[in-house]
Amino acid sequence: MNYLQYYPIDVVNGEGTRCTLFVSGCEHFCPGCHNASTWDADKGLPFDHAMEERIIADLGDQRIHRDGLSLSGGDPFYPGNLSGILKLVTRVKSVYPQKDIWLWTGYRLDMLSSAQQAILPYIDVLIDGRFELAKRDLSLPWRGSSNQRVIRLGGMQASC
Amino acid sequence: MTEIIKRDGSRQPFDAPRISKAVASALHDAQIKDDDFAEYVAKKVASTVAGKALVDIYDIQEQVEDLMMSSEYHNAARKYIEYRQTRDLEREARNALSRDILGIINQGNGDDNDALLNENANKDSKIIPTQRDLLAGVVARHYAKQHILPKHITAAHERGEIHYHDLDYAPFFPMFNCMLIDIEGMMTNGFRMGNAEIETPKSITTAAAITAQIIAQVSSHIYGGTSINEIDRIHAPYVRKTFDRHLAQGLRWTEDESKAREYAMEMTEKDCYDAYQALEYEVNTLHTANGQTPFVTFGFGLGTSWEERLVQKSILKNRIRGLGRNCKTPVFPKLVFAIKKGVNFSADDPNYDIKQLALECASKRMYPDILNYDKLVEITGSFKTPMGCRSFLGVYEENGQLVHDGRNNLGVISLNLPRIAIESKGCEGAFYQLLEERLEVAKEALMTRIQRLDNVRARVAPILYVEGACGVRLQPDDKISDIFKHGRASISLGYIGVHETINALYGAGNIYDSKELRQKGEAIVARLRAAVDQWKEETGYGFSLYSTPSESLCDRFCRLDRKKFGVIDGVTDKGYYTNSFHLDVEKKVNPYDKVDFEQAYPKHASGGFICYGEYPNMTNNLKALENVWDYTYDKIPYYGTNTPNDSCYTCGYEGEFEATSRGFQCPQCKNRDSDKMSVTRRVCGYLGQPNSRPFIRGKQEEVVRRVKHL
Repeated sequence: MNYLQYYPIDVVNGEGTRCTLFVSGCEHFCPGCHNASTWDADKGLPFDHAMEERIIADLGDQRIHRDGLSLSGGDPFYPGNLSGILKLVTRVKSVYPQKDIWLWTGYRLDMLSSAQQAILPYIDVLIDGRFELAKRDLSLPWRGSSNQRVIRLGGMQASC
Repeated sequence: MTEIIKRDGSRQPFDAPRISKAVASALHDAQIKDDDFAEYVAKKVASTVAGKALVDIYDIQEQVEDLMMSSEYHNAARKYIEYRQTRDLEREARNALSRDILGIINQGNGDDNDALLNENANKDSKIIPTQRDLLAGVVARHYAKQHILPKHITAAHERGEIHYHDLDYAPFFPMFNCMLIDIEGMMTNGFRMGNAEIETPKSITTAAAITAQIIAQVSSHIYGGTSINEIDRIHAPYVRKTFDRHLAQGLRWTEDESKAREYAMEMTEKDCYDAYQALEYEVNTLHTANGQTPFVTFGFGLGTSWEERLVQKSILKNRIRGLGRNCKTPVFPKLVFAIKKGVNFSADDPNYDIKQLALECASKRMYPDILNYDKLVEITGSFKTPMGCRSFLGVYEENGQLVHDGRNNLGVISLNLPRIAIESKGCEGAFYQLLEERLEVAKEALMTRIQRLDNVRARVAPILYVEGACGVRLQPDDKISDIFKHGRASISLGYIGVHETINALYGAGNIYDSKELRQKGEAIVARLRAAVDQWKEETGYGFSLYSTPSESLCDRFCRLDRKKFGVIDGVTDKGYYTNSFHLDVEKKVNPYDKVDFEQAYPKHASGGFICYGEYPNMTNNLKALENVWDYTYDKIPYYGTNTPNDSCYTCGYEGEFEATSRGFQCPQCKNRDSDKMSVTRRVCGYLGQPNSRPFIRGKQEEVVRRVKHL
């Protein structure tokens, strides 16, 4: 799994103060996508152990409080990213059960593969659906077009 | 016949007797009697111009000077030269006066006029009453510089070494800067305003209406901001009276007391909301004698009684709704919300719900800014709302009781720190030496403010001194000076551009990135503090160090320095100087690190400070906003979050507009028509609406360069 960008402090991708990772790789190719540079799975830097440690450390920062982790891209549910993402969210939830995880994907919740579904128990909020230029609306929180949904999954607590 | 070209370009026949007269008069001044010499000079000059058709007056003067200097009468020569120079200065000043007046008439076509007309973003210079105020200001400034202030202070101001703030009002008029109005004293004891005797109000509706009247009156008698400290506490009794009246009314119609109480509470809540709506409208429609909406600040947040809570909620809910048909963001009153552990800081505190409302309000309307109770007490000795946008009083007691309301600030003189650094050519020793000299001038300038008020009688401003706004009830013929002594009033040394000063002195990268440079910056401000502490000791007046907001000064000092020293990288190149101790607006750091950087300064500059962070639109993420507020609690006393939330009347977009050097633009429909948008930005401690009243150029440049801290 490669990543394009990491923001150790972010307030525009999800509620609260967050760490946000933009992974590479997306097969939706939505017209009007504002992250088109992230489509190519080979772009960016490999997501290695050091990067994972950095995120764990940032989430636990004693000075600046973080509410959780946001995963965007690209698409975290891009087939090539699934094992990497599963590993990361499992780790984050085991270290910080109280912190929430938000995930943006172009796939719809009801169309997820079993490998994608395996990640859901660790996700608190899922924003799903392709970006549709005709339904673009700058005023919607957390999403770009009105067909996309903000789904509160409830995370581990709900599924355990 | 020879003609002379005069200074104004007109021509006049050469007249030798005028020369002999001038020389004779210089001789006379030097107590020398030698009429022959005067004749000799006149003849000599006449012989050199003979046969020429045109001669410039300056050539003639030069010849006279040369002849006198080469004579035995050196003293007389000096007198002659001095006389000429004085006349030149006077003439120059008269020209400047005419130019400024012409500028008002012409509505600012050129650069200089723009500076005059746009120097205060709160003044709409297009309208007549404002123009009258500007005209009065031009004359007052001119007269003060020529005839009231000592020559060397005027000169230091003109050169841009110091800035004598608000010259358009004081010292010509015996006015002071900003204050906390003693509304409580006025309302409980009654007062006279104009032809009306005002008694203690019997409802929140009346109390709010009277508050607006007081604000209008007071704002016309001082030139800085007026603040109401703890307005929730002060207005609470009138909320109670409103409730009692509604309860009595209710009991006339039903025996069921709980039902009557329910009714009374509902009516009181409505009355209270309406009262603050009316007050907000009043303030925003008022036009003081100073040609502007009053600079007014409401401080609130600590009260936990139901009446105080209702006041707090009413103020915030009104602000969230916005003003008028388009629900525009009001610029006044400035709202300052106090946060205190045990009151409203955490979820189990009694007023935590109101903190949430304050967060929502800040995300939509930028105000309130927050005051962190414990840190403010630690740094300034006690809790109080800032006067105007950022001026803080020190501790002062009467009969063993802390007093804040009714106190004031006498005015500010600011130092141009970058100038000193430029002149020191990178030498720290030279910098501190020169700083000592400038501090001496600044102190003298501040003393002129105090002296100006020395023999002034209370009758010049009855609302302040006779009717109680200043917390005293003097007789009209009493002198006012005593109420400014012993630290009751503050008087402030200001400063600007620590960032540019460090660049000019050390030229070693951004102050943010170096521990050593940070210490250097702090050391400079600590030196200023030591100076005001010493002055306080010497004089008994409440000298304090104030971090100048520099709305127009950020432009003026930089413009003068660029003219004198040229474009210097990192110093004069941007067209503005950075506000006081603030981090360079172009430096990309997160708001937490910015807070850490700036927290070193308020403890030195305890007479005035504010810190802010630049945020994206936060209306959907109050939690993140709260995280930052909470972070500041034990670090800085006074914090503002700049969360732009503009609106476009063309396409309905709500969010942040793009700032360009030529104005603002809607990101969705690209609308640039300033009449079809509401744009609110922080000017200094106050907000402004730059689409309708442009900022001065340097300030606009600064706004364009601001980077987000998140």
